Amino acid sequence: MPEELQKDPLTRRQFLWMGTLGTFTGVVLTVPSAVFVLDPAIKDVLLERSDVPAEWKEVGSVFEIPASEAVEHLVEFTQKQTYDAGEPAVNGTGAKVETMTNAVLLSWRDGKLPSVLSTRDEGPLPKTQIKELERDLNALSNHCAHLGCPVRWSSETQDILCPCHGGIYDINGDHTGGPPAHGLWHYVSRIREDGTILVKHEFYVQQKGQIGPGVKTKPYVV
Amino acid sequence: MIARTTARIRGWGRDLMDWMEERTGIVSLTEKLLYEPTPARGRWLYTLGSATLFLITLQFLTGILLLFYYVPTTDNAWDSIHYIMTQAYFGRLIRGMHFWSANLLLFVIGLHMVRTFLSGSYKAPREMNWVVGVFLILIVTIMAFSGYALRWDQEGFWAWEVGAMISSYTPLIGSWVITTLLGGDTAGPATLSRVFALHVWLLPAVLAPLIGVHLYLLRKHGEFGATFEYSERLAALRKRRQMEETFGSVEEDGQVADAGDHSQEG
Repeated sequence: MPEELQKDPLTRRQFLWMGTLGTFTGVVLTVPSAVFVLDPAIKDVLLERSDVPAEWKEVGSVFEIPASEAVEHLVEFTQKQTYDAGEPAVNGTGAKVETMTNAVLLSWRDGKLPSVLSTRDEGPLPKTQIKELERDLNALSNHCAHLGCPVRWSSETQDILCPCHGGIYDINGDHTGGPPAHGLWHYVSRIREDGTILVKHEFYVQQKGQIGPGVKTKPYVV
Repeated sequence: MIARTTARIRGWGRDLMDWMEERTGIVSLTEKLLYEPTPARGRWLYTLGSATLFLITLQFLTGILLLFYYVPTTDNAWDSIHYIMTQAYFGRLIRGMHFWSANLLLFVIGLHMVRTFLSGSYKAPREMNWVVGVFLILIVTIMAFSGYALRWDQEGFWAWEVGAMISSYTPLIGSWVITTLLGGDTAGPATLSRVFALHVWLLPAVLAPLIGVHLYLLRKHGEFGATFEYSERLAALRKRRQMEETFGSVEEDGQVADAGDHSQEG
């Protein structure tokens, strides 16, 4: 029946040729454009690259973080995207380096001042004390774990609150209420001998009550 | 004297229309495009689609005008809009039209959809027009959302960020979707370029032909309810068209008029 409807009958050989040629043409036409548009996704997801170079940035000192409070520090990260790729420009003047500002919420685990800090207020700190402080330090991203709105510390309620959809976190960044699926992202951080806190644009999520680095993820911080 | 002059001018006009009709078919095409029977009940409700089309056209026109000033870079986007609003002549008017008609557009589309639903116009054989309409409203929504981000102010920026984060919850391909929307793993210059490309080129390029399909399908099946409510009129219309095809134009009472006289209304 279908053969009768064909005005111009195809042989099997012709059909296969048309199929092969059609597939080839289709691939040639669509793959380059799709890959062109998906370039950032391929680089970030498949090749695990980031727009932000893995450099340490200073965000204040351990001696400045009080008990029962989360303090906000701003940090400028280098950002390499499109025309701000950081490559030398053709005219030799060098490309402008674009930066982006992120906020870091610094606090002590459960709001308790580490015992080391009750006896001293300046460096240099010995390695064992640095280890202890690093374990107790919360260096949290202010990017809400729900949809990325900037969260804030509220002194009255002793909570970290999100203004957009009511996400609530405790001082450790653990999720206590509202829509977020998990706690706030922690910056990968370390403490220098003089007490300076350094963060990298890399993040991990902790399980509730967990101490130390959890699962590494990308929060797409803005 | 006046009567004679009027008659002569009318004659010239008719000659010109005949000349154009013969070469381009413009008169019969216009008649074909403009005349569509609609149900007598709720007649004004059947103008909501036309209102949508008008507002979309307004978006295209004012959007093209805004492109004469808008600069899609993180450094200059907001400033260029500030310039449009404070310095450019009629800038407030053009951008205001783009902004308010975009808001009104979504509202009118909603009403159009409600009318289609309540009048049962989505039923066979018009299902595909409903489906095309759903794609149209999706595209218009993304266009409205991306237009919001193009301002690159706090509201627009955070709206796009939240939208992109919502997309990251897509099962399996979430991280692919968000990095494609942001142009990287952070929001920055690439993000604005992408929003611009979507809003100004990609989505309108998809939208325009889909509107064509939507209108084609409407004309193919006619307004729902039109056939039975207008069966008499349609029968008369068909008879007239048949007569026209055979004898050229016809008078209201069915008499054959001068060949080539197309000034008759449809």
